[in-house]
Amino acid sequence: MKNSDVIIQTTTKVVFFMIFLFSIHIFFAGHYTPGGGFVGGLLTASAIVLLLLAFDIQTVRKALPFNYTVIIAIGLLLALGTASASILFDVPFFTHAYDDFRLPLFGLTSLHSAMMFDLGVYLVVVGATMTIILSIGSDD
Amino acid sequence: MAFQILLNFIIAFLWMFISGSFTASTFIIGWLIGMLLIIMTRRFFPGHLYIRRLWAVIKLTLLFFKELVMANIQVFMLVIKPKLGIRPAIFAYPTKLTNDWEITLLSSLITLTPGTIVMNVSEDKKTLYVHALDVDDVDDAVVSIRDSFEKAIMEVSRP
Repeated sequence: MKNSDVIIQTTTKVVFFMIFLFSIHIFFAGHYTPGGGFVGGLLTASAIVLLLLAFDIQTVRKALPFNYTVIIAIGLLLALGTASASILFDVPFFTHAYDDFRLPLFGLTSLHSAMMFDLGVYLVVVGATMTIILSIGSDD
Repeated sequence: MAFQILLNFIIAFLWMFISGSFTASTFIIGWLIGMLLIIMTRRFFPGHLYIRRLWAVIKLTLLFFKELVMANIQVFMLVIKPKLGIRPAIFAYPTKLTNDWEITLLSSLITLTPGTIVMNVSEDKKTLYVHALDVDDVDDAVVSIRDSFEKAIMEVSRP
């Protein structure tokens, strides 16, 4: 008997956005509260894995046309660039800079260069997880 | 329908700008004034008022909670019986709903009330296969689902 995946697909269309939003929140919460690049990356990857479970690989590849190997490279470059930017200012490797800025909409925000490093970690985690799962999952 | 909600939102926003205070309470007052204006000018809009659909959603929620409590009591009664006299059955439930979200909502409501579980949806999305814990008569079970949940969902989607 053929059955349809209507329930899981409809639920996925709603839940995917919730998981993705939560992953962004966790990524930005990393400085003061639990969270950070690693957990945020894993959550984003899990949202995409949920899409892969509900739909098939071709559909998700068409919807999110990212080359995850390139994403790993971009993440590593970001992390390395953030670490080596401190050399230009004549301070030791990996010294972070931070300051308080008055941003529109956000108000007084403390911007820290560690966030760029965290973004690198995030991208590497998403890329690595998705590369592993897609290379195991696809049978070509 | 969606246009009316959007219009109500814009009216509430305008009210905030007119009164010059950007707080939640001002927004709610503006929303109520906008609701009054939309009820006054309801002849200009195609379709029904959105308040009717909102009321249908609230009714569906209340119905779900009522059914949840009732069905849990029924299953509790089955559990504490010394003799297990249940008659489990899987029956096909022909649904009249067409949209994906309606079918998902109906399946979730059927599954969340104890005693019945949606096991499968056929490929043409016209039949739900429901496993029931204690069925005397299949037709009764079908009619009871049809009269409670399906009717309420129909009222939400097609007022």
